[in-house]
Amino acid sequence: MIYELTRDDMEKLYQRISQEYETFGAKEELGEVIFSRISSFSEVSEEKSSYSPKDFLIKRSENILEVPRADKKAVFGVKSCDLRGFQIMDLQILNKDPFYTVRRENTIFVNFVCNEMCNGGFCTSFGGPVLDRYDIQVLHRDGKYFVQADDRYERFLTGFKISQDQNVFSRHSQEFLQRYGKIDLNGIEKRMKWNSKLWSEFASYCISCGACNYSCPTCYCIDVYDDETGRKKEWDSCILEGFTRTAAGNVRPELSDRLRQRFYHKFKYYKLSKGEYLCTGCNRCVDDCPVDIDIKEVITHDYDKE
Amino acid sequence: MKPIKFRMETDDTYTMVFSKKTDSHAGQFYMLSVDGVGESPISVASGFCNPLTFSIKAVGSVTRYIMEHRDAEIGLRGPYGNVWPWKGSDHIVAIAGGIGIPPIKALIEDMESEGNLHDLTVLYGARSPRDIVYRNEIEAWKKKLDFRVTVDSGDSSWNGHVGVVTTLIPGVDEFRKGRAFVIGPPIMMKFSVQELLKNGFSPENIYLSLERRMECGIGVCGHCNLGQWYVCESGPIFRYSDVMNEPELFL
Repeated sequence: MIYELTRDDMEKLYQRISQEYETFGAKEELGEVIFSRISSFSEVSEEKSSYSPKDFLIKRSENILEVPRADKKAVFGVKSCDLRGFQIMDLQILNKDPFYTVRRENTIFVNFVCNEMCNGGFCTSFGGPVLDRYDIQVLHRDGKYFVQADDRYERFLTGFKISQDQNVFSRHSQEFLQRYGKIDLNGIEKRMKWNSKLWSEFASYCISCGACNYSCPTCYCIDVYDDETGRKKEWDSCILEGFTRTAAGNVRPELSDRLRQRFYHKFKYYKLSKGEYLCTGCNRCVDDCPVDIDIKEVITHDYDKE
Repeated sequence: MKPIKFRMETDDTYTMVFSKKTDSHAGQFYMLSVDGVGESPISVASGFCNPLTFSIKAVGSVTRYIMEHRDAEIGLRGPYGNVWPWKGSDHIVAIAGGIGIPPIKALIEDMESEGNLHDLTVLYGARSPRDIVYRNEIEAWKKKLDFRVTVDSGDSSWNGHVGVVTTLIPGVDEFRKGRAFVIGPPIMMKFSVQELLKNGFSPENIYLSLERRMECGIGVCGHCNLGQWYVCESGPIFRYSDVMNEPELFL
């Protein structure tokens, strides 16, 4: 069911949710849009956050000898691409990583559907920006808030006006696609070539900083290590040399090997094992790359011409 | 948990036995840990229900620390991974190189407990006589099963076979319709597979136990992938025909 809410209604919806959940939102602070505690819907920014909300479910660093806590949190203003990141990650780590799992089950994401394609974004290639699975999905257009909820959260919407336009999300999706088009993935999992010169070309200017992994809403790899305060899990990067080092040697000693792994994981391995690409077209890895490596080039590259 | 027995096998390889019974089957592994040092994936060296045993070469921070602190409290997590598919096969040729031998000890014990040792041939290659682990067990095994040992280079005390373990493979070609299990350093596995194929074993009947960096053991940390698979989750044992086209199969 799609509801049509006014701005005041959105505030009421916020109040209902905040009775049960600790509330967070994308919020403008010091010129950036970051996720932090909010106390009213009016604080929520509709701009794309500077960082993905990955940290809500996978902490940058935490002690894993502690028991996972089931804190109930609601996060407003997550962009569809970032929420889709969690949905894709679920396929590999939900019900395996106890920390991720308990947080996933106790967090509501209220995602905002974009009205315009962000700079460099290509979410349409992955079915965005309207999601067919969501907790609570919001489309702010024509001065109205169109809202739909998963069955688990439908109760938050009871009493609000039911929209006369029950096709508004699918129409928005079509219009968005018409306006921005999409990059044809064209069976990328079959097109990429192991010995493509693209990997060594990227390697010639990549500085191995790992920003692409940290900014990515689908990168879930973690480093597990001990220090004096306990056993930690921490965001890791497949671009770093130690990522695959073992007593027997290193399967990816070259930076080009590691860059290829990143793109093979995203566009081939995950597709084969889970049926989904490990990418949402958010463009965050491109935005954050200090040397302008563009993941879109991996998709559009003509491998046959090499 | 602390081991009830600790013995040095070679200068850098040791065996630990725990009072706990083995609840894994041959081929599986545990994550062993020392608080403040780290965790490390280690194959189980004992058969199901026997006292839980690990034989470890000290090569990293955790494995060295345990060797140097024998009274350290050791954390055990597991068992994880799949098992050697020995059931339902005519004959098994297990080929172990170096510190690949512990999971083959577990295999011997599992097969022995079900009265199948006559279906097993083991080829074990060590770098030198000084690097041979399980010296006492090997003497007993030689009486119970077809167990063949070789060293890459011998010394004055050595009367046995000299040569890399692949040189023993032509001698087992009569078992070419059976299954071959291969475990050891990547280069040894690569050449063992080549030699097995040359001697008539089929890619469908060759199984490899792979080593990768594993930090979680449960398919979460993302370090141990071989193509689309995580070695901790879908392995560590893979059928060669399933993975033969993976460019990263051997280092």
